[in-house]
Amino acid sequence: MHTRKYLILIYLLVFLFTASGCWDRRELNELALATCVGIDLGEDPQHLQMTVEIVLPENISTPGGASGQGKPTFTVKSQGLTAFEAARKLTLNTEERIYFAHNPVVVFGEEMALNGIAPAFDFFIRDPEPRRTAWMLVSEQRAEEIVNIDTMLEPITGIYINKLIEEIVSNSLIASMSVQDFLERLMSPTSSPYCSLIRAKKENDSIIMELTGTAIFKKDKMVGKFDYTEGRGLLWVLGEVKSGIIVVPCENDSNVALEIIRSQSKIIPSITDNTLKITIKVKEEGNLGEQQCPYELTTPQAWSSLEKKKAEAIRQEILAAVRKAQELNTDVFGFGEAFHRKYPKLWKEQLKQNWDVFFPEIEVEILVEAKLRRTGMISKPGIPD
Amino acid sequence: MQPEGGKINTLHLGFLITGFTFGSSVILSPGVEAGHNAWLTVFAGLVMGLIMAYIYFTVAEKFPGKNFIEINDLLLGAYLGKIVSLLYLCYFLHLGSLILRDFGDFFTLTIYVNTPEVVIVGSFALLAASAVRNGIEVITRCSLIIVPLTMFAFILDTILILPQAKYEKLLPILELPLKDFLRISFSSFSFPFGEVVCFLMITAFLNSTKGLKKHVLSGLTVAGFFLITASIRNTTVLGAAVKMGLYPTFDAIQLIDIADFLTRLELVIISVMLTTGFIKLSVLYYGTVIGLAQVFKLRSYLPLVLPIGIILVVLCITQFENTQENLAWAANIYPWYVLPFQVLFPFLYLILALLKGNHSGRKKAGERS
Repeated sequence: MHTRKYLILIYLLVFLFTASGCWDRRELNELALATCVGIDLGEDPQHLQMTVEIVLPENISTPGGASGQGKPTFTVKSQGLTAFEAARKLTLNTEERIYFAHNPVVVFGEEMALNGIAPAFDFFIRDPEPRRTAWMLVSEQRAEEIVNIDTMLEPITGIYINKLIEEIVSNSLIASMSVQDFLERLMSPTSSPYCSLIRAKKENDSIIMELTGTAIFKKDKMVGKFDYTEGRGLLWVLGEVKSGIIVVPCENDSNVALEIIRSQSKIIPSITDNTLKITIKVKEEGNLGEQQCPYELTTPQAWSSLEKKKAEAIRQEILAAVRKAQELNTDVFGFGEAFHRKYPKLWKEQLKQNWDVFFPEIEVEILVEAKLRRTGMISKPGIPD
Repeated sequence: MQPEGGKINTLHLGFLITGFTFGSSVILSPGVEAGHNAWLTVFAGLVMGLIMAYIYFTVAEKFPGKNFIEINDLLLGAYLGKIVSLLYLCYFLHLGSLILRDFGDFFTLTIYVNTPEVVIVGSFALLAASAVRNGIEVITRCSLIIVPLTMFAFILDTILILPQAKYEKLLPILELPLKDFLRISFSSFSFPFGEVVCFLMITAFLNSTKGLKKHVLSGLTVAGFFLITASIRNTTVLGAAVKMGLYPTFDAIQLIDIADFLTRLELVIISVMLTTGFIKLSVLYYGTVIGLAQVFKLRSYLPLVLPIGIILVVLCITQFENTQENLAWAANIYPWYVLPFQVLFPFLYLILALLKGNHSGRKKAGERS
């Protein structure tokens, strides 16, 4: 019995030493965590330039604790023929290999996006380290400048951008896309991907970032931009408007602001007399948020006219987005997939190959059902006659 | 006479079959080639699997207490029977090495990038060897714990990913030429449902064949149901990108994000699900070892465990130079390679068993020598 006990003890001891690590251990203190990755064309256009922001954990100030000594982040860049090569060449500057698994943001420079992002995109899906939940962005200047920025609001640029994107919902003016969704759209024969546009601007000595719109792609090449109105138009169609403000005129120069509470959408394809038609049905609910004119809007007539005005405003936003998309000939709404689902045979025989011919000619009908639910805390206007 | 004295009952066999079928198919989603119609091909594969399993276990029921090697001898005669038995044993061994290889590839591709594959595969095989040495009862008991655990992990991750699922991605249904549909369905039958043929080695250890088919077929259905769910989940989450990933389930689970808090669960969940791979490997390994002991009339199978384990590992490492070879082989050759083992021979057995069954029915009173 005793020998058995000792054997078990030895067995456990062996495990203690062998099971604690492996070839691929990466301890936290030897990781260079990437928090923002920027991709640009290199000086030689054949090359890519990768700029990476790395966190220096010892310099991050903790609430209540001692604040760090210098900057909490450090930026390195390198060039290579491919993204992977550039990523490894970063190690020529850093003491540790860059660890991409916690990177929340991938920024492509506009120049790169116009030329096509395909040369760098594969790396972000093939390599096991980068996560596909990271956000894709296009920057109006070189991505390098975005990554390099030192902002007052949030010391780590990647986390700052991540928060900006997560706050998009409060306005719903810009469409955003993760690497995974971008990939899914790239794999589709008809749908086009899109992602948010970002820019850094200087204001009173401090630099802040701004999401300026939505970058629209055709395959992997950026072909245009949606402004805020068109951006929301796109989100209406996709049913992704979660919140935001719609301003409709009241009288003369005064306006009424209506808050969006929720929305739903439906894309219904149909074919009549050899013309393709898409019916977009949007259902929206909102509240009266603010008024500048002195009229009482909570009467039945005024209320329903307000609802109509709102529906028309939404319709105009969608129309703007559809027009722009048809002009650019990019199916960002997924109309092609809608036809694919309803008319699989026709899609396979004709639509799939010639979608670029069909898409700009699609007839689009927009039906908006806008409801106003609540008046806010007052029923009479807070404006004197 | 059996080289081992373990006894299990049919309910436990059902659990074992669920774990076995779940096995490595939980990471290598079957039928994924069919894109958004994958779940239909898995369903078709399950139906074929149920029909074939019915045949396998009808044969087993005709010969209670006899294992596959003895059945072969009885049906095909001593010489031909032995040859076919050895072919089957080679298949089981090879299948075991393929399972090992799948796991080795999975780990070296995802987390242990620099670790030599032989280390991962070797430790996995060592674990299975210990289970095999302890006999069928231990393997079965393991499955009683592992299968519910895996189911739990599976249900959990499916619920957590629901917010990202878009059901219109499954449409249009049946958008696949019939030829492709049949080909992919057969390939999802041959992996994993048809592999249940290995359980003919195990049925001899049943204490009674009462309710055998009921439990076996429900075990297979449960596993099939989960695999169909997995397929639907992966398609609704990944959409058109489902076709490109080697491990769609892994890709899908990676996207779980509940309030920025429950994220990056893939390794936790996948590690739990991988335990069913251990069941699959153990069953195949055990089947091979027991079968060999039987063919060569050994009194105990224990001396064979280690040598066969070494062959398993060596075969696993040397059979493919790289992942690409493994993929090409699994897609193009595997379904043809298993055709005789999973379909042709069992049909032959069924016919022979029905013909000879009348004889054994009359001789019921006395045990066969």
